[in-house]
Amino acid sequence: MRPIARNTSGLLRLVWTAGTVVGASLPHWTSLPSWMPVLLCVCVGWRFAARGLRWPLPARWLMWLLTIAAFGLVLLQFRTINGLVPGTALLVVMVSLKFLEARSQRDHILLTVIAYFLVFASLLAGGGLIKGLYVLGFVWITTLGLLQVGRQGPLMANLPTAKLAGRLLIQSVPIMILLFLLFPRLPGPLWALPGDTSSGATGLSGSMSPGDLTNLGLSDEIAFRVEFTGQTPAASELYWRGPVLSMFDGRAWTQLAGMRRRVEDTVEYLGNESQYRVMLEPDGRGWAFALEMPETWTDGGQGRSIRMGSDYQLRVFPPGTNRGRVTYSVTSQSRFRAAEPLTEGEIELFSRLPRDSNPRTRALVEGLLDGAPTAEAIIERGLDVFRQPDFFYTLTPPPLGEHTADEFIFETREGFCEHYASAFAIMMRMAGLPTRVVTGYQGGELNSIGEYYIIRQTNAHAWTEVWTPDDGWIRVDPISAVAPERIALGSTRSNFQGQTTIASRIGRMQWLRQAALAWDTVNTLWNDWVIGYGPRLQRTLLEWLGFDRPHWRVLLLMTSAATVFTMAALAFYLGLRRHRGNGRDSAARSFEQFKRKLKRLRVDPIRLGETPSTYADRARTALPDAAESINDITAAYTAARYEPDPSGDALARLRSLVSKFSSGYAPG
Amino acid sequence: MFGARLERTRYWAAVWARRRQGDDAHAVTLKRRRIYILPTRFGIIFGATVFAMLLGSLNYGASLGFALTFLLAGLGLVTMQHCHNNLLAMTVRFAGADPVFAGEEARFRISLQNTAAAPRLDLVADCDHTHDGPVDIASGATAALHLHLSTTSRGWVRLSRFSVSTRHPGNLFRAWTWVHMDARCLVYPRPTPPGRPLPAGSDAIGTHSTVTQEEDDFVGLRDAVLGDPPRRLAWKAFARSDRLMVKQFAGGAERPCLFDWNDLPDLGDEEKLSQLSRWCLDAADARQSFGLVLPDQKIPLGNSDRHLHDCLQALALYGVSE
Repeated sequence: MRPIARNTSGLLRLVWTAGTVVGASLPHWTSLPSWMPVLLCVCVGWRFAARGLRWPLPARWLMWLLTIAAFGLVLLQFRTINGLVPGTALLVVMVSLKFLEARSQRDHILLTVIAYFLVFASLLAGGGLIKGLYVLGFVWITTLGLLQVGRQGPLMANLPTAKLAGRLLIQSVPIMILLFLLFPRLPGPLWALPGDTSSGATGLSGSMSPGDLTNLGLSDEIAFRVEFTGQTPAASELYWRGPVLSMFDGRAWTQLAGMRRRVEDTVEYLGNESQYRVMLEPDGRGWAFALEMPETWTDGGQGRSIRMGSDYQLRVFPPGTNRGRVTYSVTSQSRFRAAEPLTEGEIELFSRLPRDSNPRTRALVEGLLDGAPTAEAIIERGLDVFRQPDFFYTLTPPPLGEHTADEFIFETREGFCEHYASAFAIMMRMAGLPTRVVTGYQGGELNSIGEYYIIRQTNAHAWTEVWTPDDGWIRVDPISAVAPERIALGSTRSNFQGQTTIASRIGRMQWLRQAALAWDTVNTLWNDWVIGYGPRLQRTLLEWLGFDRPHWRVLLLMTSAATVFTMAALAFYLGLRRHRGNGRDSAARSFEQFKRKLKRLRVDPIRLGETPSTYADRARTALPDAAESINDITAAYTAARYEPDPSGDALARLRSLVSKFSSGYAPG
Repeated sequence: MFGARLERTRYWAAVWARRRQGDDAHAVTLKRRRIYILPTRFGIIFGATVFAMLLGSLNYGASLGFALTFLLAGLGLVTMQHCHNNLLAMTVRFAGADPVFAGEEARFRISLQNTAAAPRLDLVADCDHTHDGPVDIASGATAALHLHLSTTSRGWVRLSRFSVSTRHPGNLFRAWTWVHMDARCLVYPRPTPPGRPLPAGSDAIGTHSTVTQEEDDFVGLRDAVLGDPPRRLAWKAFARSDRLMVKQFAGGAERPCLFDWNDLPDLGDEEKLSQLSRWCLDAADARQSFGLVLPDQKIPLGNSDRHLHDCLQALALYGVSE
């Protein structure tokens, strides 16, 4: 590789580092305060001006001052440096300032390694196909930068170095695939990062106002774990009951305060029993989750009892004591009648709506009531509203205005479980049926290693309960009308996000719709198989490979062994490569082949001390017919072996001549 | 304390390597089992970063995070292989060291030959206190590196161990090999400063002298011009003044002299050797024939460069056991 003159090396090093640093922070620019990209650009510009125009760089004390100021600013902005976004912000700021004083090779390499980490951080928030491709391209450029700034001698020419970087990455891909598939995936985080589960993440809060959320992030934070003894219910029956929201003010649903009555005795259990143990993650909110409908339960350990509230929700007593881990066993029956008798006052309470809200929905509901239907028929008609084809499930719905149900049902028609539950509850209340919203979790993820279910915040769900005098509280889940697969899978994954939205936006343009659908298919595949590759898929893969739920230590051992094997294969391949294609040696090998052909034609082998040309003389005398070919081959050999042959033309000519040299010449 | 421990570890590693490798011939082609590799501090930082990424991916369950983490882990491993391969099957030769006078720096030539198809990059040779490189070697090419050792006394100075190392690609790993060759450089005695005149040619050597004298007596120096015979160049004067001068002779016969150890009874052994070196150099400067008489050997008259070297070597190795 041709080195570049030493005096431009410093500048090129700077260019490479600047490129990697800016490229790495690029995916974060939208989520960072806007002064940070500006700071980065200013620092980069200043550094180049210092190099090219001899601008002065800030003195050491000023650097310290800037560092402290930037640190303080980040702290002021986020109130913490813990968490994904504040951590990234801090890293970007530090990188900017570090770049300003980057001089030694050490600085450059450090910045390059941090660039790798920054681009990695952008993947933690999730990523589609486009992001994956961007990161791949970026990693290639960063690796090229690493090769350049890691050089001890003057920098190399860029093109061959780019090829080298590409080769290194391609050779890393087998190891990446191997580790990606086999490295034991632990379900669940190692530690919780505060600040990442704040507003906008799915999760239970004890209240909901669906019109306000426009972008529901997906926090993979664990809510609780469940270990079943015996039969595991179907995913569609995994309704983990949480806070029940009965009060609606037109915007937000909230819980009813106080205890109305004991309701344990009102439940009639009809079978389909399951027994399980629940391990709550500490959150201090005092909610104990259980499958509908819990029949018996133990206490929470360490002096904490568990009681059922008058809305059938289990709670930890005394409240606020589940800061530590609460564990309890429950027996539930999924077939039940929750026949709580309601008083007149309670019926009114559970049907109460703000006056004059959602007039269009009210008109719609009046239509539904035609012909004095039964309560069951009203519920079905209400669900039919959501069964119209252009209702979509999405985690990025548009915001809703004053009349949330009106706008949702007649205009946006996009939302997640809370939108549907709220709109449905409003409709039922308008129809005069006592209705409330139940929040909790739906489904769960089976942990392949530990044989238990993990219920994460992404499993958070909201459904409704409608009261009829005969059957008591009946569970109605409007989501099952619009996105039944979500219930069947028992888990919400991000691949629902946006996919239907694109299709609905583009609407009537047929070819665009086709393209969008094709793109969507690719994206869905990507989401299912790459993004979605987790403990569950890994387990399926391992079973397919013939390993039945290996212990993670075994898996780790297998992974290591496979990696070592891959490395050995790589070493072998590199060894082959090193000895192949050497110009001079290849020429000699071609000439050997030529000599073997001549030997078959009874030309005596080359003697000790004989030069190729005297040997050729002898061959020409022996084979007068082939004199011309022999001359050409000898000339090409001499050129390839002893003269500079940078393009390899002579070698190529020699090879083709030798291969064409026929063994059919008759000895003269 | 940490530095001292590191130093000690290095020492024991070197002793261990020496024992397991044995001595090398003057040319070695590097095999796998003698190429050592360890991460550099950047490699350690890189590794720690990848580990942090692994923890992050585990914590967030981020699939793409895992993918990038493992790609970079793979990159690290592949880089290690390439670093190792950058040395593998390279031929290292000790290509000699020109004799020097005590006090000057001995300069050992190390030649690295790349017979492989790919270029080898960023190669460095170093021994304890000195290094040379980095140098790139194209496919089929040979490069020379020089290691300098300071000398204090006459005799042999040995380059008992040196290493050839590389950090290419990416400076994440350093692969090196230790080479233990019989690489030595002859150190002539440090010549005494000029002062004591040459001893007068003695009768005894007249009988040995077979050289016909054509040159005249040395009378002085003049500036050199292109075409002057190189033998007449006054190298010593050049070393002192930076001006290239030519010795001028005024005719008359050269007086051959035999420098005798026993002519310097007033000096100690080392001083004697230094003084004899001075005389040899002066005589050679003056194009005089000279010979040497040492207690254990006698070098007959001569005046070639080879003869000068023989005399200085005899002085350098006087009393030095192999």
